[in-house]
Parts: sequence; C-alpha cells; structure tokens
Amino acid sequence: MISGNIRNPNGIAESKSGMISKLGYALLYAVLAAVAALQLFPLVWLLFFSLKNNQEVFNLPPLSLPMNPRWENYAKVWSAGNIDVYFLNSVWITITATLLTVILGSLVTFAVTRMKWKGSSFVLGLFMVAMMIPVHSTLIPLFSLFSKVGLTDHPLSLILSYIAFNMPITIMILLGFYYALPKEVEEAAIIDGCSVNRMFVQIVFPMTSSVIATTAIINMIYNWNEFIFVNTFISSDAYKTLTVGVQNFIGQYTTDWGAIGATLMISILPILIMFLFLSNRIVEGIAAGSVKG
Amino acid sequence: MFNKKRAMLLLSVCLVLVVSGCGANSNEGTGGTNGEPAENGDKVTINFMHLWPEGVSAGQNKIVNQIITEYQDEHPNVAIKQEVLDNEQYKNKLKVLSASNKLPDVGVTWAAGFLQPYVEGQLFTPVDDLLSGELKDKFVAGTTEAYAIDGKTYALPLEFNIAPIYYNKSIFEKYKLEIPQTYEQLKAVVKTLSDNGVAPIALGNKDRWTGSLWYMYLADRMAGQPALSSAISGAGSFKEEGLLKAAAEVQSLVDSQAFVKGFNGLSNEEAKSEFLNGKAAMYMMGTWELPNFTTNEDIPQDFRDSVGFFKFPTVEGGKGDINSWVGGPGVGLFVGENSKVKAESKAFVEYFVTKWGEQSVTGAGVIPATKVDASNMDLPQLYIDLFNEMNQASSITLFADVQMQANAAETHLNMIQALFGKATTPEKFSEEHDTAIASGK
Amino acid sequence: MDKVLSNKKIIALYVLPSLLLILAIVYIPIVLTAYYGLNEWNGIGAMTFVGLDNYMALFKDATFWNSAWHSLLLALFSGLSLMLYLVVAMVLAARIKGAQLFRKIYLIPMLLSSVAIAQLWLKIYHPTNGVLNTLLESIGIANPPAWLAESSIVLFALFIPILWQYAGFYILIYYAALKNIPASLEEAAKIDGANALQIAWKIKLPLAMEVVKVTIVLAVVGSLKYFDLIFVMTDGGPSGSSEVMASYMYHEAFRAYDFGYGSAIGFFLLVICLAVTWVIRKLTATKDTIQYS
Repeated sequence: MISGNIRNPNGIAESKSGMISKLGYALLYAVLAAVAALQLFPLVWLLFFSLKNNQEVFNLPPLSLPMNPRWENYAKVWSAGNIDVYFLNSVWITITATLLTVILGSLVTFAVTRMKWKGSSFVLGLFMVAMMIPVHSTLIPLFSLFSKVGLTDHPLSLILSYIAFNMPITIMILLGFYYALPKEVEEAAIIDGCSVNRMFVQIVFPMTSSVIATTAIINMIYNWNEFIFVNTFISSDAYKTLTVGVQNFIGQYTTDWGAIGATLMISILPILIMFLFLSNRIVEGIAAGSVKG
Repeated sequence: MFNKKRAMLLLSVCLVLVVSGCGANSNEGTGGTNGEPAENGDKVTINFMHLWPEGVSAGQNKIVNQIITEYQDEHPNVAIKQEVLDNEQYKNKLKVLSASNKLPDVGVTWAAGFLQPYVEGQLFTPVDDLLSGELKDKFVAGTTEAYAIDGKTYALPLEFNIAPIYYNKSIFEKYKLEIPQTYEQLKAVVKTLSDNGVAPIALGNKDRWTGSLWYMYLADRMAGQPALSSAISGAGSFKEEGLLKAAAEVQSLVDSQAFVKGFNGLSNEEAKSEFLNGKAAMYMMGTWELPNFTTNEDIPQDFRDSVGFFKFPTVEGGKGDINSWVGGPGVGLFVGENSKVKAESKAFVEYFVTKWGEQSVTGAGVIPATKVDASNMDLPQLYIDLFNEMNQASSITLFADVQMQANAAETHLNMIQALFGKATTPEKFSEEHDTAIASGK
Repeated sequence: MDKVLSNKKIIALYVLPSLLLILAIVYIPIVLTAYYGLNEWNGIGAMTFVGLDNYMALFKDATFWNSAWHSLLLALFSGLSLMLYLVVAMVLAARIKGAQLFRKIYLIPMLLSSVAIAQLWLKIYHPTNGVLNTLLESIGIANPPAWLAESSIVLFALFIPILWQYAGFYILIYYAALKNIPASLEEAAKIDGANALQIAWKIKLPLAMEVVKVTIVLAVVGSLKYFDLIFVMTDGGPSGSSEVMASYMYHEAFRAYDFGYGSAIGFFLLVICLAVTWVIRKLTATKDTIQYS
C-alpha cells in the first residue's frame, strides 16, 4: 500500500518536482498507515480484553493474546439474561431517536437559514443555549417531569430526551452546511412554482445528504452509548438498553471485566455496521443534489 | 412553579406532535404500564432496588435471586420486582428518586451519614418492630445501631466487616520477614521489601476510602479509639496531638515508599490486582474480600494458600489497643416510608435478612450482620480466624466516611487523598476536618 | 419569492415541534437548575430559599475556580486540536487512493463508548505495567511518572484521550464539509495552475469556514461541560488536580448532598458557556457569508 499504487491526484507529476512529490506521497502513506494501525488498536485490544478473566486483564500486558481465550465470557453475557431484549431496545430506540432528530433538525435549520422571518436568530439562539447544560443538572428536574406525565419507565422518556439533547448539536452541524448551499437552486425552484414543502423534500434534503449522514452517524453513536438517562428513567428490564448490560457484571465488591469486555464487543458490532453503511453516504452531496435540481 | 405548569402544557403538546407524527415508531414498546405497583386482586408487587447483579457469580449475588425465588414460592401473592444498578448508578438513582418521592418499596442503604438525610426527609420507615419480633437478638451487637437515628432504626444490616492487613506469606518467607507486632516492626518490614524492589503495600487511593482505613488505624493506635471517635462526632478535635501525629505518620509512610507506585491514581480494583498477582506484599481491606483469598476459583490456588492476615500493630507510646478494629456493617435494607405495600415489604425484609444470614456464610463467604454459629460449618481457616477476631474485638470504629454526614465525608475523603499525595499538611488536614464537621452538613 | 419563503404556517410547522420539545425537556431543567441554585437543598428534604448565597459562595470558592481553569484549558486545547483534525480531514478528502478505507478506520474509535475508552487508557497509563511506561522503560527511562497520580501532569495526561475520543467526530464533520465543495471549483483552480496547498488554503478552507466556526463553538462548549473520561479515570483527583466544572458539580450535588450548590455550579457553567460562545461568535463573525458562485 505504501509504495505500489501511488497516483498523483493533482496532475503535477509531469513537473520537475516529480521525484520529490513521489517521495512525499510515500511518506504520506507511511504516516497514514501508521495512524490507521493506531486507530485499529482499540478494537483489537477490546477483543483481547473480552477473552480474558480478571487475573489476565490486570496481570498481562494489554495487547498480549489471551493464553486460552475465554469464549465463555460471551456465553456468560448472552445467558446473563435480557441481553437480547436490551439489544432490540437499543436498536429501535437509537433508530427512532436518530431519524426524528435528523428530520426535525433539518426542518428547523432550513426554516432558520433559508426562510425569512423575525426572531429566527433568537430561536436559533434558544437551540444553542440548550446544549450548554451539564447532563447531571437535568436528572432530577427531568425525572420529576416525566413522572408527572407518567412517562417514567417508558421508552418515550428516552426517545424524547435523546431528541431534545441531541437536537442543538445536530442543528449546529447542519447550520454550517446550510449556509453554504447555493441560493440559486431554490430561487429557480420557487420561480417554477414549487412549494416550500416540495422544495425541502425534493431539493434541499437530497443536497444535504452528506451532512445528514454525518449527523445521523453522530446521533446514532450518542444514542447507542447513552446510559445515564436509561439508568435514571427506566427501571424495567423490558425497556433497558445495551449500555446497561455492562452493569450486570459490576458487583458490590467484584467486577467481571472479561464479561464487560464481551458486552462492549457485542454492542460495538451493530453500530460498526451502521457506521460503515452510513459513512458511504458521505459523498459529493451538493454535486449530486445540483444535478437533480 | 408557574414555569413548571406551563412547561407541562408545552410538553403535552410536544408529545401529541411527536406521537402523531410518527405513531408507527412509538407503539412497539408501550405495552406495559409503568410506575406504581400493580395490585390485581390481592396480588402484591414489591419493587426492590439493589446492587447485586445477576451476572457476577462470585460473591453474594446468587443468594439474592435464590432468596427472592424462595420467597415468591412461599408467598404466591407476592411478586418481587428487582431493579439492579451498579454502586455509583445506584446511589445516583436513589437520590433522583428521593427528590421526586418515588423511592422503591425496598432498597439498599448505607449506615449513619448516608442514611441521615433520607431519615430527615422522612423517606425511610422505622423498622424497630422487626427488631423486637422474630429478629430479636439475632443481630451482632453494634450493627443495627449504625442505622439508628434518634432512637429509631431505619434499616437492617446485612453484612459486618472488619479490615485486617492481608499479607502474602510466600513473599514474607522469601525475605525472612515476621508478622509485625509493633508499628516499628511494620516499618522495618516495609523497608526490607522496598529495598528489595517489592512493593510493600497495595493501595488504590483514587477511591479515597482505602487510604482512610490506614489513617483510621494509625489514629486509633496513636490517639486511642475514644479520641478518634469524638473527633469524628465533633465532640473532640482532629487537632488532638495523637491524631495530628497519625496524619504526619501517614506522610512518613508515603515517604518510605510503603505504597505501590502511583497509588493516588489507582482504583481499589487495580491495587487489589497488584496484591492478587503477588506484586505487592500487603493489602489492607475489609473482610468482604475473603472469598478472593479462600474459595474463588478464578484466583490461583497457590496464591490463595499463601494469604494470611495480621492486626494493625500497636504503636509504642500510643493509646490504642491491638484488638480495636476499623469496620462496621456494610449495606442494609430499608423500607420506603411512602411505600403502598409497607407491611408486605417489611415481611420481605425480615425474611431476606434471616435467609441472608444463613446463606451468605457458606454461599458467599462473607460475614453477615446476624449471629451465626460457624462451629459446625466447613469453612476456610482464614474465615474462621477473622470471624473469631471479630468476636474478640475490643471496639469496632465505623469507617469514617460512613460515619460522617455527606458533606463532611467528602471533605474527609478529599483531605485523605491530599494527605497521601502530600498536597496538604497534617495541621491543615486537621483544621479542614474540624471545620467540615462543625458545619453539620 | 419572499412571500413564499416567509409563509408563517410553514415556519411554524418546521420549527414549533422541535422548539416545544426543547423548551419542555431542556429549558425546564435549565430554569429549575437556576431555581435550585437559589436554595439550600440536599435533594431529599425541604428546600430553604437562600437567595444568591450559593452564587456568592461560588465566587469565593477556590476549588470551583480551579476546576473552571481546568475546563478552560481543555477548551483551549480542544480548539487548537481542531486545526490538526482539519488537516487530517483534508488529506482524507483528497482524491488519493485508499482514502475511503483510511477514513473508515480513522473513525472507528469514536464508536467506542466512554466506558471502553476509559478502560483502554487506564491500561495505557498504568504506573507499573501500563503500555506507556513499559515502552518508556524499554527505551531506558528509569522511573517514568505515574501519569494519573501526579498533580502536575494528570490533567494533561487526561487531555490526550479526551482529544483522541473526539477526533473522529470533528474529522467526520470536516470531511463531509470538504466533500460538499463542488469538484468543479478544484478543477478550475488546477487549470489555473494552483498546487494542492494553494487549493487547500485558498479554496477549501474559506468554503469550509462556516463549518469550522460551528465546530469551534461545539468543541469549546463540549469541553467546558466535559465529564465522562475524567470521572472514570481520575474522579477529579488526585486532590482536585483534574477536577473540571462538571465533575465538581457532580461531586457537590450527588456526593456531598449539596444539590442547591451543585445546581448553582451547573447554572453558572451554562452562563460561562454562553459568554464564551458569544465571544467566539464575535471573534469569528464575518460580514459576507461565502457563497458558491
């Protein structure tokens, strides 16, 4: 990978600096590959970690292969009850919250950046302030709120919280992209008699597909890994999510680290697949949109 | 509060919008009802929140489910609904639930300082009636008292612990070391070990209460148990000469490399593994660790065989007694004052405590707060020895951070870490303690 | 056209659902936090109204200012590290072979939950058998420091995993922003004889500027209320040398049972975030928003 297939992307290979630039690219690839190896290290570490018992986790060097891999950690995790329920809950709660956040966030961002109305910047400000509160300050007020409307121990409490708390950051990210959208396309659309709704759905939404994929990935990761709200609002096993599964192995005086590793390993797989899938959607968004528009 | 009402209105509007906007998504999980115990006929549900998850097999955790199953079999009209959280999350949730007055029917609590705000807020119900009933005289002296405030007992203890110094016999043999009887001898042991490149004492002081144990013992041996107790209660002062000397002695232990490298950044779990892996020679910890040194199959047999313990040695010229221990009851069970099934919950707690006492000795290898006759049980020698020590104890001083009220306990723990890290002086250490305790929070 | 784009009904339809949700789920806690801050309350018993006492105490609380300083340092480092992330994103967005693969690998660590990341870095920093110290000892450094136990270095030792944890997040956003730049612009510049650096500096950077501004705010606000890894790895210790505002808030409210004071910290943290954001917006404001022509 380092030497073989270097292709000069800028078409200046023909110039006199050809040799230097070739060397430069070799160097670049060496650095890229080294960093890539470093970035893969956590995943490999986690795999090894999940195959050890406590003694090995603490005693052996972190990257050592476990002597006799303890696959029973995985069996333990799976049989410790409810992991399948947690898993399904994680999936549908994450997907629902992510979809809603991205759609609602896009609508708000569109209205704030592309439409003309008084108070748009004030409303935007309201959304921005909403990301400044530390999560632990919200627990007691939110719990009493949810318990008054009968939503404690109900998945809706999680979905609503996830949407509300991720909305500001989602809008912020969308904002930077919406500002850069060419106005001409919309102007043309409106002159053609296109309604705002149609314009949003058929022109703007596709044009922002790459940032939508980006925010979807970010939302997904946040929702998938969240556990403070789950612990606080949910008490029935039927509605808990995978992050809580880790707690199955934290005892009063002893913690089963190997099983925790296995839980973490199981829980990273679905999100890894989703990530790889969504990540392919981040392509030349505007170009794709413009063609349609 | 006006804000709250108006916001409630807003929330309901939101809910309608969200639900109507995406009905398909939100219908799947809404089958069950929530919150209140469902009372179908005379069927009673007791919500039980605790911190013994099913997944950890070594230890007490199996017993809980066993007791619950048995209880439900014996009482077909009762269903126990469990909610399990880990220690940290458990404490947080208890707090959040208290603020909204939604405590579970039965839950786990700690003694003294932890309990007090809940009692003052009238969230726990007194369980004195249980103590005069079937459980009369069943508890080891000094255990239920830790849960009593103004003459009423608000929880029933499950465990009882003391903290000895465990040591690795094979390391001691290798360097021809004897069990220290005096503090000077302990220091000599420390010196020999550290000169030979062996970490003398495993200590994970990121958790802070671990370092507190060392300070407590030095204070007990130097100033005597009464002086320490009165300083903690606020009647005396931490500026008492012996207590000041104890704080200074902590720092001189640190200077003599007594503790593992980086102890102030290590968790108890990490430090424990240094001892379990034979890298550190000594480890001071509660008797709850006994299973790791006796029956836990995950730990190599050679290691388990080479673990012994000794009492914290006496200090020359000190006022302490070698049979004076630091320890006390661990967690206990409370019943919520606002529980709708108070009577049933109390009955369950009574049953639980009794069964726990019977089963935790053999099942989990821990020492319960209820009296047990260990003579005809087949128990590891280490367990029996410590059990006997406990019965001969001249006094057992409750862990300082448990005794103190929450705010003072935080100050104590922070100052302990600072003292060990030499970020404070013994004088400042004492002063901060007195101020925090005097503030009454 | 303006008429179409200022249709009140559509604006309401786009903005109100999200706004109401935010007001209920985020603003109720914000208002209540401010209110709790005016009370002496242990979170359990009755509240006593004490006016501004908690806030006054906060101004005199050295521990708080210490933690605020640590949070500001983190914000500064996060802000600076954005430059590095931008460079990485530019390299990955350049049309070199294998960029797709590298990008995916680079972003994998961001999928890990804080629980996993904290465990990983605890194993790296372990004073005796950690990866880092084993490495240092093998190259002949006799007594490497106990990274998480020494007051003078612990904060910086923590910054590294924190910055690393969020690297993927920003690289992802930048990557999407760069991919959003129409390829035609780059082609045109190439024809004019611009080299890769010139294209990056003169074309890509200005066009991604709106996104960069947004990420500065996100990074700074995120840092100011940062909690996760610090809580697990050092719990603010040793003796407060890695305490940040959010962990101090947590310690006061949930450990010391001083929920009134904790709420005051939480609300003040929000005010600081607001002030800093305002300053950033002022500093980065430009009159003319860049438009693609």
